[in-house]
Amino acid sequence: MYMKALGIDIGSLTTKAVILDGDSILAANIVTSSDEAELSARAALAELLNKAGLSSSNDLYIVSTGAGGKSVSLSQQQKSVTTCLARGVHYLAPSVRMAIDMGAESSTVIKVNERGRLNDWANHDKCAAGTGIFLQQMAKLMQVSLEEMAELSLQDKSKADISSTCAVFAESEVISHVHREPPTPKADIVAGIYFSVVSRIVSLCKRVGIEKDVAAVGGVALNRGLVTILEKELGCGVLVPPNAQFVAALGAAIIAKENIEKSLGR
Amino acid sequence: MIGSEKRSNKISAIIRACRLIMRMNQSRPEARKSELLYYKMLDGYYSRLLNARENGKPIAAHTVFFPSEILYAMDIIPMHTETTTWMMSLFLSNQAEILSAGAELGLASEICSAHRGLAGAFSLGALPRPDVMLWSNLICDNTAKSGELITEINDCPGFYLDHPFQHSRAEERYLIGELESLIRFLEEKTGRKMDWDRLSEIVARMDQQIELCREISELRKAVPSPVNIRGYLQLLTVDYLCPGQPEAIEYLEALRQELAGIVHEGKGAVSPERFRLMSLFVPPIYLIPFLDSLEQEYGAVTVAEPLFTRWAAGRLDPAKPLESVAMKFSLIPERCSMYGPLDERTLKDVAQCAREYKVDGAVYWAFIGCRHTCAAMRMFKDALNEIDVPMLTVDCDIVDPTVNSKEEIRGKLVQFFELLEDR
Repeated sequence: MYMKALGIDIGSLTTKAVILDGDSILAANIVTSSDEAELSARAALAELLNKAGLSSSNDLYIVSTGAGGKSVSLSQQQKSVTTCLARGVHYLAPSVRMAIDMGAESSTVIKVNERGRLNDWANHDKCAAGTGIFLQQMAKLMQVSLEEMAELSLQDKSKADISSTCAVFAESEVISHVHREPPTPKADIVAGIYFSVVSRIVSLCKRVGIEKDVAAVGGVALNRGLVTILEKELGCGVLVPPNAQFVAALGAAIIAKENIEKSLGR
Repeated sequence: MIGSEKRSNKISAIIRACRLIMRMNQSRPEARKSELLYYKMLDGYYSRLLNARENGKPIAAHTVFFPSEILYAMDIIPMHTETTTWMMSLFLSNQAEILSAGAELGLASEICSAHRGLAGAFSLGALPRPDVMLWSNLICDNTAKSGELITEINDCPGFYLDHPFQHSRAEERYLIGELESLIRFLEEKTGRKMDWDRLSEIVARMDQQIELCREISELRKAVPSPVNIRGYLQLLTVDYLCPGQPEAIEYLEALRQELAGIVHEGKGAVSPERFRLMSLFVPPIYLIPFLDSLEQEYGAVTVAEPLFTRWAAGRLDPAKPLESVAMKFSLIPERCSMYGPLDERTLKDVAQCAREYKVDGAVYWAFIGCRHTCAAMRMFKDALNEIDVPMLTVDCDIVDPTVNSKEEIRGKLVQFFELLEDR
């Protein structure tokens, strides 16, 4: 009989896992994803069990999600990331009706109803422009860390124009700003990059219809500079829940818990 | 110079594929009679095209929603251009060859792939050279413009049929005038005379055909619903290729009878039926076998296509054949959504259709080459959301598999099924 619910979100950069004990989060863990989803999931699980003080995974009901969620053998069920995000966001902030998931390789906007169910979604999955990996690339190009980049974005005087909707062409635009004489100030370039990312996200929000309260989740949501610009462009406050990068894994764990309850006839 | 052997390559291959499917169906005791008739109809259509020269008959290539009833009445062999590209992508899976030939002609990837592929196939000499090319502004800018290119590639005479945008008595008269000009053009270029008695017979059968489609649509309201996504595309193909033809009637009568039996037995196209879907627009044709299996796997069945299979009210009159051919354009379901005017009635009708067919969710297949049509998707989404029917938009292409992968489409549909299940 399954006793505990566990959710694993296998992303392209990181793998997150959350274990529930009843309605409470018992432990959460994040590891760097490896090439194989199965290995990532097992590594995240081993560390999580250790953190939670559990000796075995035998009585765990596991739901997997994320880019690698379909490829793992240890889960009893696979769910799409949008379904999991809706559950996770609702658990952390029940008033949220729209959540923006800014992940490594895609940006997704979901609409959540008052029961924590997915009402609608839209995502960018064609181009890296607008994703965490794009920001990482830009930081590398500008020879600053992601943290420094976030700080710089708050010091801009006038944002540089990064107009391309293609990651490759956007990179060329940034290079031209760096090498022009005199060079565009770093803070302005960073602000331009952030505006370019945010403009794509705002268009996704408009596609599903902006509805408050709004939350930002996923690893990129921890970037304060970007969220500040997002708030400005959306014209409303954006809530970043604690453990923002764990939301999909948490949602998967909640679905696992629901399945346990169903199996017990509750 | 186009070699005569190469010229018929694609058509011969389509015929071979149809015959292979027929043979497979004949060996399956559970195969439906309508399935056999459908492939027999395709075989007949493309065999007539392949053998046209040998039989001394002229070929008229024409774009979608061109009145091929007139061609049949004049004993001219029609070649439906878009459907022929669909068939090449469905049966031959060699889209890359014809699309890259289209690209060599300078056709950008934003242009309708059915037309790009077609132009490519003609430039490769892989389709029979038409004696005349016929096209019109119904249904889109692609149909309005691609005829000129096909005419140039094939060095053949062409005729452009101008459709009025609105419906009024004056516009109906104008369209009849256009049809009369078309007949004069065909008589002059092909030497064939219009057989008015034959046109009357075709119109009478077309009226019967529309009635049969309406009856089939009624049967699809049953829970569970008896037709799957492949069946939807077959219904479209019958009208596109064989309007008012005996084989179309034979197929639809057999289909109606089978569906009535299936409904009576309480069976459905998928078992168990979990999700009833409305399809807005046309799914990627080359993925039909995959979408069939996905329907089975998730118990999701396409029950209604208000923009494609829901004929408007009205009857055709064989005593007034040309007027009836003109009138048919005001009945075709695609007209309002793809051409216009798109008004409140169309939006209300989509919502009404969702209620009548007990639809759980709608899928808008946003075909990249039909961007003018996709501009209306938000209105459809809002109209459906008002009655609590969610709509999924899938950006895709009917013919070109490079626009998105099978896995990407699967991922979106599975997410949507989860959303429907969770409600």
